[in-house]
Amino acid sequence: MTAKRLRVIALLAISMIFLLAWAFPIIWSVLNSLKTDSDVLAYPPKLFFSPTLEAYRDVLLGSGSILPNLLSSVIISVGTTVVTMLMAVPAAYALARLRFRGKKFAGFYVLATQMLPPVGIIIPYFLVLRNIGWIDTYQGIILIYLSFSLPFAIWLLVSYFEDIPFEMEEAAYLDGASRLKTLWRIIIPQVRGGIAVTVVFVFLNAWNEFLFAVVLSGNTVRPVTVAMFNFVSVEQTLWAKLAAVSVLAMLPVVVLGVVAQKHIVKGLTVGAVKGGGRR
Amino acid sequence: MTSIKPTRRTLLKTGTAAAALATFGPGILRHASAQDVDLSPYKSAQIDWQQVSGETITVAVIPASYFENLITLAPQFKALTGIDVRFEKIPPAQIRQKSVIDLTSKTGTYATHAADPMYYALYAANKWVEPLDTYLNDKSLTDQAWFKLDDIIPAWRSANGIGGKLYGMPYDGEVTIQVYRKDLYDAKGLKPADTLEAYMSNAAALNTPNDRVWGAALRGVAGAGQNMYIYPSIFREFGGDWMKGGKLTVNGPEAEAALAWYVDIMKKYAPTAAANWNWPDIADAFSQGTVASYIDAHSSASVVNNPEKSKVIGKVAYARWPKGPSGKRTTSIWNWGFPINSALPEKKRKATWLFIQWAASAETQARTAHRFAGPTKRSGVNRTSVWRDPDYIKLMNGFGENFVEATMGALQDDTDVDWRPRVPQWPAIGDTMATAIQSALSGQATIKAALDDAQRRIEPMMRG
Repeated sequence: MTAKRLRVIALLAISMIFLLAWAFPIIWSVLNSLKTDSDVLAYPPKLFFSPTLEAYRDVLLGSGSILPNLLSSVIISVGTTVVTMLMAVPAAYALARLRFRGKKFAGFYVLATQMLPPVGIIIPYFLVLRNIGWIDTYQGIILIYLSFSLPFAIWLLVSYFEDIPFEMEEAAYLDGASRLKTLWRIIIPQVRGGIAVTVVFVFLNAWNEFLFAVVLSGNTVRPVTVAMFNFVSVEQTLWAKLAAVSVLAMLPVVVLGVVAQKHIVKGLTVGAVKGGGRR
Repeated sequence: MTSIKPTRRTLLKTGTAAAALATFGPGILRHASAQDVDLSPYKSAQIDWQQVSGETITVAVIPASYFENLITLAPQFKALTGIDVRFEKIPPAQIRQKSVIDLTSKTGTYATHAADPMYYALYAANKWVEPLDTYLNDKSLTDQAWFKLDDIIPAWRSANGIGGKLYGMPYDGEVTIQVYRKDLYDAKGLKPADTLEAYMSNAAALNTPNDRVWGAALRGVAGAGQNMYIYPSIFREFGGDWMKGGKLTVNGPEAEAALAWYVDIMKKYAPTAAANWNWPDIADAFSQGTVASYIDAHSSASVVNNPEKSKVIGKVAYARWPKGPSGKRTTSIWNWGFPINSALPEKKRKATWLFIQWAASAETQARTAHRFAGPTKRSGVNRTSVWRDPDYIKLMNGFGENFVEATMGALQDDTDVDWRPRVPQWPAIGDTMATAIQSALSGQATIKAALDDAQRRIEPMMRG
């Protein structure tokens, strides 16, 4: 009994250490976002200070307000997620269930864009968008984001579809349901969890993306990840404001994470047991 | 006897009006100021400012107060020329990448951009940007007597020139100088260093980590614009020559002595974290009183004098670079210049030139510096005449003792066009050297090994 309790305490202590290491940057950002610039630089670091919302007021309502950037991020992330899911669900189902020529290759080539280092494809993407006049537009950025979110989503969803026993579909067919109806009524409700996980991952990737956004965006479309960088100027780093923007940019991610936590954890482990590695 | 009782409706009305005024008021006011502003100093130029009225150009700048001030004045430019300027603010690290992509693909997205002087060799070799003499010598586009090119700081012009031709018009720049705590120096009876040796011994005398004061700090973080911004001055002061016998050389005895000095002062007398610092971090530390001296851009004076953050206001003084064993002082010759993108159609190129002429003119330089209405005045104006303007000097001397003298002295006598190797391969060379300097500082490689390795990596780049 005591041995068991000791083990629990030891495990708890170890987890606390890790938790602290991971949570520290976040706690630090939150604290800094509530300080004045002079408190940020104070040594020893002040744990007790009179908190101020000045940094938040500045970044939200000041001259360099990031509200339009947050809106940009929302449009890009939601747009990417919706389009991705509309295409990924049927594609993943097809790869999991249908037999068609070139299926094996299709499964492989879906991943092709994931095999190139992103830096290597920025310039071609830039040129393509430039030629069709889509630089600095939402459709342009969403199109580029699809090139990596779609394969990822398909790949993730296939393993969920494969988990569903074929007999369930057969039963539906016997009752006279068409394939589409079966997909909609029988299959999709079964992979709700998988869809939720995929939505979360696709959204997070789009929300946090920086590399493509910085090159392909401009004044009209400028997500918060890019705008945030302007607080690190050549003259000085505006720590308090930078922290405030970070916290604001983190919020939707954290909220989404908490809401979808149950599904995320399952999503991370699903490939470990079966599915993902099968092909 | 009648008292005014606001009804809910009037309250709402007033509130809405107030909100509308708060929202649109500043815009209306700005607009008004653009109308009222005196454009006659520009109109005395013998050119037709309105010749390409109606054009729109996009200008990429970095987020920095000296460009913010210019952006604020853009309505005046519009009133003068009828040209619309859209500004896009891009962080320094990305502006190089984005402008190079734009130039290579000849898309003409940015009519001009805040350009790094080290990139002109690459730009000119590929004919991506226009030689500016074409525009300067065109009487319909430039009134030379009004523009006075010679007034623009010569070192910056040569930094932005390749083969005797100017490719980027300097807008704002900086020199590196010594910034030191006069109170700490006085307490120990020290003088600002005249030689690198003396700088080292001053740092030793003031280094008291137990009291949280370190002797000195220099940029430590790896990067072409970070440690490779400060090291080239030391290299040149030790007698180094990037183009020894026509071949790009980064190793050898002078380089080893220079790097040894840098590693020595950083390891012994700088805060340990400085190995990862860029200049804003150095200025932050100095403003908190933890660093007794640093050598960096003169523009950092505004940070160490920022009343919201700094604890050392009134205790700061300045001096030129200490001399190296070669007897030379070598400052940086950094400036942000404006080139003209060759991919533009002719009318837009003209519009771009009018913008550049306007931005670099003495009048606009003064209007964005000491005559600027906002709180942040520029300290890196591009013209000798402005630097000699008593109003400007008065403003700059507010930064502390000897600020104008040190900066002007450095600008006139300590600049060196060959401060860094000006070759098209610079971006890759700068990164390679930055890594070498850092590996020597962190002790991963000996000084000689780090430099020899850099030389081995650089040679094939120069052949390619």
